[in-house]
Amino acid sequence: MRSLLAAVLLLAASAPAVAAGGEPPRPTLTVFAASDLAFAFQELVPRFEQAVGVRVTLVLGSSGQFAHQIAQGAPADVFFSADEQFVERLARQGAVLPETRTLYAQGRLALVAARGGPRLTELAQLREARVRRVAIANPVHAPYGRTAVEALQRVGVWAAVEPKLVYAENVRQALQYVQSGAVEAGVVALAVALGSGLDWAPVDPRLHAPLNQAAAVVRRSARPELALAFLQFVNGPEGRPVMKRYGFLLPGEF
Amino acid sequence: MDLFPLWLSLRVAVTATALTLLAGVPLAWALARRRFPGRDLVEVLVVLPLVLPPTVLGYYLLQLLGRQGPVGGLLAAAGLELVFTWWAAVVAAVVGSVALLVKAAQAGFEAVDPRLEQAARTLGRSEWSVFWSVTLPLAWRAVLAGTVLAFCRAMGEFGITLMLAGSIPGRTQTLPLAIYDRVQADRMAEANALALLAVGIVAVLVLGLRRLARLRY
Repeated sequence: MRSLLAAVLLLAASAPAVAAGGEPPRPTLTVFAASDLAFAFQELVPRFEQAVGVRVTLVLGSSGQFAHQIAQGAPADVFFSADEQFVERLARQGAVLPETRTLYAQGRLALVAARGGPRLTELAQLREARVRRVAIANPVHAPYGRTAVEALQRVGVWAAVEPKLVYAENVRQALQYVQSGAVEAGVVALAVALGSGLDWAPVDPRLHAPLNQAAAVVRRSARPELALAFLQFVNGPEGRPVMKRYGFLLPGEF
Repeated sequence: MDLFPLWLSLRVAVTATALTLLAGVPLAWALARRRFPGRDLVEVLVVLPLVLPPTVLGYYLLQLLGRQGPVGGLLAAAGLELVFTWWAAVVAAVVGSVALLVKAAQAGFEAVDPRLEQAARTLGRSEWSVFWSVTLPLAWRAVLAGTVLAFCRAMGEFGITLMLAGSIPGRTQTLPLAIYDRVQADRMAEANALALLAVGIVAVLVLGLRRLARLRY
């Protein structure tokens, strides 16, 4: 028994040394970005790396969770939120550099339909009986979920659609419910619908409060000028056409 | 395919299991054999991580250990960074798995006949020696079972790690986080390969450990 314990301890002691050999060189810029930016940033990040000659680590996830983590010292250099409120809060807490706050896009909603299911072109059709389940992101914490609810209410189908709703953790998960055929339809971010291969129809942005997406450089960043350069790249002549292609409205256009 | 998440998870799970054993075995023995003030409280605290959802637990730990937190502030003042490093993943794995080892080992120690330990004491053995030569050899199956459970839980830890260590590729993205990330990004082939790898490696380790234990005793 003693030798077994000793063997485990020895293994534990040697593990870090073994693993250290396989570790890639330390990345130089860490970008925390909302999951609706997945497709656009997968295209933009390599371009930025090539243009500026740095390595970028892209971390995609929930804006709200990133906001908590950055307040607690997460090693992000720049934060692209799907909701400007999180950036405002971090600025008040002093966790991001207030002068770098930038509105970089406005999100748009899209209606997506499952393969082999009914063809859908407008929200009002979700009322129909052939649509049994509709996926949206959780409106309590996901900005696209909140605006999906607003749009359904504005179109006047909320009472009929609410019992059909399935809440996903975020828009990407809502999209996956549709892709897998578990639900007939979903109201998700246009930015994720575009790359999904599903049939989609844009939702009129006037049906909901604007989805202002803001970014800022994190105060603890060791390379704030590089972080700002990435922010300006996304918002500049290189990034804007890509962002537009992935379904975002751009500053100056709304 | 990038195998960093696999190496990271093995390193985290092995380190966490070692720490869990170091802390958990004495704790399990104390709970089984000793009456001390606050014992009931400790019993409850040990199983608490199994009650709370991992992401919620991770959120509380982040508030506690983050730079703004009471403990994290002290660490930062001492120049130590814990959250969002691979050590945060170790902390997450220990918190998630310690109950499994402690409860299994405690049951094992409780099943040892106290008269055998008493007999060793009458022969002049110290408490330390009684533990190593009587109690542990009689309870080792339970301790080993608890260790295997704790290791597997540590390999699969997701929620606490996501909050406390983040999912930073090449730094803190463990195997479960990497699989989830690939699924989110619709890279199912990679996700499936990583999941298969995780299952295969744990199967080999668990079966290997069983062989080793059989050879030894």
